[in-house]
Amino acid sequence: MTTVIETRGLTKTYGTVRALDGLDLSIPRGGVYGVMGPNGAGKSTLFRILLGLIRASDGTATVMGGGVGDVAAMRRMGSMIETPRFPPYMTARQVLRWLALEHGVAAEADIPRWLERVGLTEAADRRVRGFSVGMLQRLGVAGALLSRPELVILDEPTSGMDPPGIQEMRALIRSLADDDGVTVVLASHQLLEVQRVCDRVAIMNRGKLVREGAVSELTASGERLRLSAKPVERVVEILGVKGVRDGGGVLANVTHAEAPALIRALVEAGIEIDEARWVGADLESVFMTETGHQETPHAG
Amino acid sequence: MLVDAIRAESFRLSKNRTALFWSLMFVPIVSLVIGAITSFVLKGSETKILGDAKMPPELKEALGRGTLDLGQALVSGAGDLANPLVLLFVLIGAATLYAGDYRWETWRLISARNSRSNLLLAKLAVVAGLALAAMALMLVASLIENVVRAAVFDRQLTFSMTGEMAGQFLAYAGLSWLRIVQFTMMGMLAAFVTRSLLAALFIPLVVGVAQFFSPQMLVPMGVMPDAWLAVLANPGSAVDTVKAMVEGGAAAAALPAGVGVKAWLSLALWTFGPLAAALAWFPRQDLSKE
Repeated sequence: MTTVIETRGLTKTYGTVRALDGLDLSIPRGGVYGVMGPNGAGKSTLFRILLGLIRASDGTATVMGGGVGDVAAMRRMGSMIETPRFPPYMTARQVLRWLALEHGVAAEADIPRWLERVGLTEAADRRVRGFSVGMLQRLGVAGALLSRPELVILDEPTSGMDPPGIQEMRALIRSLADDDGVTVVLASHQLLEVQRVCDRVAIMNRGKLVREGAVSELTASGERLRLSAKPVERVVEILGVKGVRDGGGVLANVTHAEAPALIRALVEAGIEIDEARWVGADLESVFMTETGHQETPHAG
Repeated sequence: MLVDAIRAESFRLSKNRTALFWSLMFVPIVSLVIGAITSFVLKGSETKILGDAKMPPELKEALGRGTLDLGQALVSGAGDLANPLVLLFVLIGAATLYAGDYRWETWRLISARNSRSNLLLAKLAVVAGLALAAMALMLVASLIENVVRAAVFDRQLTFSMTGEMAGQFLAYAGLSWLRIVQFTMMGMLAAFVTRSLLAALFIPLVVGVAQFFSPQMLVPMGVMPDAWLAVLANPGSAVDTVKAMVEGGAAAAALPAGVGVKAWLSLALWTFGPLAAALAWFPRQDLSKE
């Protein structure tokens, strides 16, 4: 399996704070790879190091086979990190022309196509000073893709977008991977979005990698027992930290071996069980478990 | 790669009409207008003088005659191109260019795909081009002003350009260009270190004023104007010294012995010093905090 990004013992410290703490990460070529983590997990620091905006305190990082700062390797990558900003006096078309020149690519003919692909054709000749955050995101994505890179790093690509815009962006990201063969690495707080669009994910917490794998593997391994039972409050009380309310029922974080004993205990406690079935975990619950966050009980 | 960065910077500057107006157009327009107004005011005085019955007829004839040599105007104009007004307004464009990526938070869009030294040198190259364009427009304005003056005073226009004059023109223009670029390089260093447009504008101004008044500050301390420290501290005066050397004759003869070498070193110091400092600083800079 060839990798597009590889880090070994990557560390970044700011005074006494370790934003990255010996991160070992290998991102394979192909598909969409999600990097998830709570605020302060080190995602942005990782991207900033990979783009050469800051230097690592220790460890190594390679991008497209070259070290960070290897311009030939970096030119095979496109990126958009955080909400992009542009010179406000330029139009969207001029911004893309400027970036094409800056990236040394003859992409003049491609500009209308990219504007159309990110849904900015009608705003192409408007100055960017009047653009919404969502429009800036779209333009940033077009700028990242203009040089036809093999790898694209996108940090929160749907931030500030309306629901139809999010859907369009999701479709664009998938088509980049499926139709254009681009490896997309994205960071997002929208866990549902990550689950829908990514093939593999890395979950980071406090500067470290805590879980990595295919989305299908991660969600399958987090299977939980869903109980429809009355009274729900009593079930939650008995399960303690292993249970969380889910609508009218309870999700129990137990293994297949533990399930019969649990059901027996609930029945003995006078609980009326209507239904008990195994449900796959969503990425959110995997994320919450891996990052040590308690799930917020669903109302109901 | 450097070529890509230069093309991109030039394109970006070409779209910034505000910066282009203030750094290229404003001073030529103002000097043209002031020059034309001055010509009309002086014409009124001349008419009054020539109308004086007591003035000898020979003097009247001498005053009423004469030609205006555009070639000579070009040569003297080239020597005066790095005046404070031009320095100030070219600095506006230069500061916008040097500090723009911090101000608009655009480093993150461009820094991964080119080396930082290329990005910095591209900005310097575009500012050097901007200075040339500003000088060319100033010379055009000066030519137009002379044509207006000739029309107002009813003088005949001529154009002479000997080999010696052409050499002087090129030397003066080169020195003026060097002085403008050198002045804006302080703005470059200020922009890269402070990440601030205001600093890129005001630090060169403060340093420039300090350079200008350095002789007055140093003489009371016992440092004579031709001493190493005095010449090194004042690149503007160093340009005048080299200009006098180019002019030759009495101007060159009046220069203190050995001041030429000091002047060249002063120019080199103020040109390569800020550049070397910026090239050392920028590649290590954390660009996540734009």
